[in-house]
Amino acid sequence: MAWEERGGRLYYYRSVRDGERVKKEYLGRGELAETIAHADETIRRHREERRAQEMAEGEILEDLVAPALEVREAARVLARASIVAAGYHRHRGEYRRERGA
Amino acid sequence: MNGALELPGDVKDRIRELQELEKRVEAGEEGARRELRRAVRESTPMVIARCADVSGKSRGMLSEAVSGGRPLIKEALEAKAEAMRSEIAGEDPTPLELLLAEDITNQWLVQEMLGAFYAGQFQRREHKGESEHKGATISGIAFLLKMQESAHRRYLAAIRELARVRKLQAGAPAVQVNTQVNILGSG
Repeated sequence: MAWEERGGRLYYYRSVRDGERVKKEYLGRGELAETIAHADETIRRHREERRAQEMAEGEILEDLVAPALEVREAARVLARASIVAAGYHRHRGEYRRERGA
Repeated sequence: MNGALELPGDVKDRIRELQELEKRVEAGEEGARRELRRAVRESTPMVIARCADVSGKSRGMLSEAVSGGRPLIKEALEAKAEAMRSEIAGEDPTPLELLLAEDITNQWLVQEMLGAFYAGQFQRREHKGESEHKGATISGIAFLLKMQESAHRRYLAAIRELARVRKLQAGAPAVQVNTQVNILGSG
């Protein structure tokens, strides 16, 4: 979204997605164009704020989940190591008793 | 990540050592299994004790997050998690079974927390007296769904792990069920 200068005057354009392509939409100048530009700017700012807020919330969620992930990994490794130490080996995702173990 | 809730470095080293030894056993290296047995014996109490510390604190944080700061809900959740943990561990569990039961409970709580957060995204919140819609963006919802999917996979993996450990500890042979279906001809 931008004001573009044409022949010494400013005209408001905005980018609109049309499927795969992005088209430039002409909105002209004057009071109506300014009102639309102001509304576009407000919407853009709100979106950015919301995105920043979501990123911050995402980080909080990841921090909350991280300790449980660490314990999961430790439990997984210890369980597998215990099984293998007890004389099993993995065969196509299943554990089988090693001969002579 | 929250530094206070990380597993200590020496525990992570032990875990890495176990992983390496397991790989060497799987590769058929002679003497590696004996070494792995020794490492499992030596590492298990320490790894389990540290995991229990982290796990307990993590459960507190997750319950707090799910309850949204409401003490009664937090208490109820913690009580439910504790009951779940001891029921899963069963009578006279081995230390490894206890750790896995703890893990399952944690993964369940993670799911609850993410579910509560997800539900919250669709609510209108009152903000400074004005009704303001703060619903998540599409990318925000996608991120949450991905987290929920991963949490669910981890929850199922933890359950599978405990079942496998129990089965192999009991030395029970694998059960194969064959079903025969006879379809009678119409004539």
